Amino acid sequence: MKKWRLLVAVLAVFALVAAACASDDDDGATPATTAAPAADDMDDGDDHDEDDGHDEDDGHDEDDGDGDDMAAAHGPCNDGANVGGTLIIGSTQVPRHLNGTVQSGYATAVPGTQLNASPLLYDDEYNPMPYLAESWEVADDGLSVTLHLVQDAVFHDGMPITSADVAFSILTAQAHHPFKPMFAPVTGVDTPDEHTAVINLSQPHPAILLAMSPGLLPVIPKHIFDDGQELPTHPRNTEDFVGSGPFRLVEYEAGTIIRMERFDDFFIEGAPCLDEIVMQIIPDATNIVLGLENGEIDLSVTLGPSANVLRLMENENVTVSSDGHEAIGQIQWLEMNVDDPALSDKRVRQAIAYAIDRDFMIDALDQGLTIPATSGIVTASPFHDSTVNPYDRDVDQAKALLAEAGYGDGDLSLTIDYIPPTQVIYAEYVVQALEDVGINVELSVSPDFPTWAGRIAGRDYQMTINNVWNWGDPVIGVHRSYLSDNIDQGIWTNNTGYSNAEVDRILAEAGQELDAGRRAALYAEFQQIVSDEVPIYYLTTPQFWQAYNPHVQDPPTRTIWGMMSPMHEVWLDR
Amino acid sequence: MSDAAGLGDVAAADMGVTPGLGAGGGPGAARPGRETFRLFVRNKAAVVGVLMLAGVVFMTVAGPSLYDQDPKDIVARPLIGPGELTEARLGTDYLGRDVLAGVINGGATSLTVAAMAAAMVLVIGIGIGAVAGYYGGWADGALMRFTEFFQVLPALLFAMVVVALFEPSMWTISFAIGVVAWPGIARITRAEFLRLKNLEFVRAARAVGATDWRIIRKVVFPNALPPLIVSATLIMGTAILFEAGLAFLGLGDPNTTSWGLMIGLNRGNFLTAWWSVTFPGLAIFFTVLSFSLIGDGLQDAYNPKLRGR
Repeated sequence: MKKWRLLVAVLAVFALVAAACASDDDDGATPATTAAPAADDMDDGDDHDEDDGHDEDDGHDEDDGDGDDMAAAHGPCNDGANVGGTLIIGSTQVPRHLNGTVQSGYATAVPGTQLNASPLLYDDEYNPMPYLAESWEVADDGLSVTLHLVQDAVFHDGMPITSADVAFSILTAQAHHPFKPMFAPVTGVDTPDEHTAVINLSQPHPAILLAMSPGLLPVIPKHIFDDGQELPTHPRNTEDFVGSGPFRLVEYEAGTIIRMERFDDFFIEGAPCLDEIVMQIIPDATNIVLGLENGEIDLSVTLGPSANVLRLMENENVTVSSDGHEAIGQIQWLEMNVDDPALSDKRVRQAIAYAIDRDFMIDALDQGLTIPATSGIVTASPFHDSTVNPYDRDVDQAKALLAEAGYGDGDLSLTIDYIPPTQVIYAEYVVQALEDVGINVELSVSPDFPTWAGRIAGRDYQMTINNVWNWGDPVIGVHRSYLSDNIDQGIWTNNTGYSNAEVDRILAEAGQELDAGRRAALYAEFQQIVSDEVPIYYLTTPQFWQAYNPHVQDPPTRTIWGMMSPMHEVWLDR
Repeated sequence: MSDAAGLGDVAAADMGVTPGLGAGGGPGAARPGRETFRLFVRNKAAVVGVLMLAGVVFMTVAGPSLYDQDPKDIVARPLIGPGELTEARLGTDYLGRDVLAGVINGGATSLTVAAMAAAMVLVIGIGIGAVAGYYGGWADGALMRFTEFFQVLPALLFAMVVVALFEPSMWTISFAIGVVAWPGIARITRAEFLRLKNLEFVRAARAVGATDWRIIRKVVFPNALPPLIVSATLIMGTAILFEAGLAFLGLGDPNTTSWGLMIGLNRGNFLTAWWSVTFPGLAIFFTVLSFSLIGDGLQDAYNPKLRGR
């Protein structure tokens, strides 16, 4: 017994020391050791005529013998030359299930966009691109959108993808997706023929095109899901999953692994390039870093904390990038319960905003890897207003505002919540920052995420660090936090209790404005009002970092949705 | 740990009965306390353990006044290595706080939690074990089934559930550890009471009309003490590891500073900032090791078979 105790203690110290030493040898990365079946002959370039048959399942051999090697003239996957290989993806995110019509979030969307196609894709400048819909029209009055679907698209079970499936998917998302505003104005979907869907709207709704992005509107098979069972708990959300996307599900083990195989009858001829995508769920970010370094993981769709990002940036065998995630629009912010007696005073909220040093958080806590957030609409959005008061740190101003509100040094005591466990660092900083202006703050600890979410949604809090995403269009990701009819509707709704009739009116108008210029003006007005009243103090926009080994080619970084995009063009250059 | 149940012959003074009747009184039983002490100090490992623990306690009690730095204050830029700064000799953590101040101040939480948990373990364990062992019969059966119920629960998981049910704080964490760690003590106490309750001096006490309560308290319990002291020492070490484990899993109270919490919160920067986890880790290591060594030393010293060597 005593020896056992000693042994454990000694081993613990050894483990610590060993891990400490391991930080010095990042150039010791070994070449990939994981299986890469049938990818050996992938010497891309000129002589791809003869590498036909290098994998057992290439059912698209119409491209042989083409002597012209101009890259631009090639079809998907370099006319088949780049087909093959297994991409190992590492992620810390555990999806609840794979059906993105009823479940929001990155965890579901990353595998979900491989398994399901959506009507539209987006390029990196917010322009819609054809996907399942080869063309589309928005009516002049903005009250209907017509989609023309590609002709011979099929689901993974061979059944054709028709306008009825699109209609079913839209109505399912309208009924069950947490982002209600995406399809709220939809009054119905007409299906005049198998390849035409007409979405009818009760009001002009400019956000609807973005709402048909891969991560937000996967097209699911009506013949499978329309069986009377509740969609959010439907067994086929994980089992025998039948999708419309470039990859089909072969193995799903909750919280462990998602294995997806190339779907040979995918409607984009010649795609996808990869034979297989294996998504490994690895809860500990450190293990993903080590996996990338030694080649066991090809691509990580999540990467943190900052120290890991910086460490990988120094590794020449790993490419680290934050490109292509503009629409996610993540904002780290401090939100305040405006019904709290102390925090109901605007001056107190402004004082708190002035007390916090956003630049310190970026420089020191995030090691320069985040960018400032000064309003509820991220800088990368076309609707961002850069003229709002950023509340740069001003301790004197903060103290003056507190004094004006009747609080002397040490008079005010508050609590701060945070999303456990990672955001404790920001909450700890806020405690220190507010101490400097004479506010005592205690951390309010939630043992797990549901406890925290329950507390915030039930408004049993004073201040909390939160992380809310813009999701492309303000109607989807921004309005929800400020509308007075959306107070306490669950987590990530209006959890501050903020209520301003003028803001309600502006947002309602902006949500229906088809003219982009006039829409931007309305959102600017909104941002000015909210900035003055600070129910929320905006801290930073964390970047979505992904890291991949150099043999991973064409990862989805030329979009606004990043890894929540189909990887049908990704190929491996080994 | 049942092999720790050496024959107890600790001073049976303050008893209503003849002290000389101490069970199994080995050679030199006239001054058993001194003999135990002599055996203990002869054990070098045990002495090292005492010195280490003295060092940790000194650091915890006197450290904060000798090294006047609030462990919560941001003193410099985050993640600067040891030796590079005069204001943070052991480097800074992810928030720019002084790791040295954290190590010095973290001991108070760890040791307090451990002491409170150990106290709770002793109260529950001895209470249940004494009643079960002394009275036997259905009381014994019922209490031992109850004990087994707690014994088969995976301790750390159960402690996590307890902490998660309430808000993590020093009190709930001590409570959680106390609730999961007592069955061992209960079983040792019961075994000792079973052994002792029919010996002559206990019968003698009963014969002169002592109440059950008095016999348990003044006759049996002092004689059952040695293995309990050994176990209690080891439980202090276990409790520190538990506290660290809970904090490591994110179930610590970030309003306090503790070694486990430092490791848990800095773990994300493990690969790049080894100092932020290694130093609190070493503090835990030495503290737990010292308790282990002391426990072993006490066990040997109390063991009459080793007497007179």
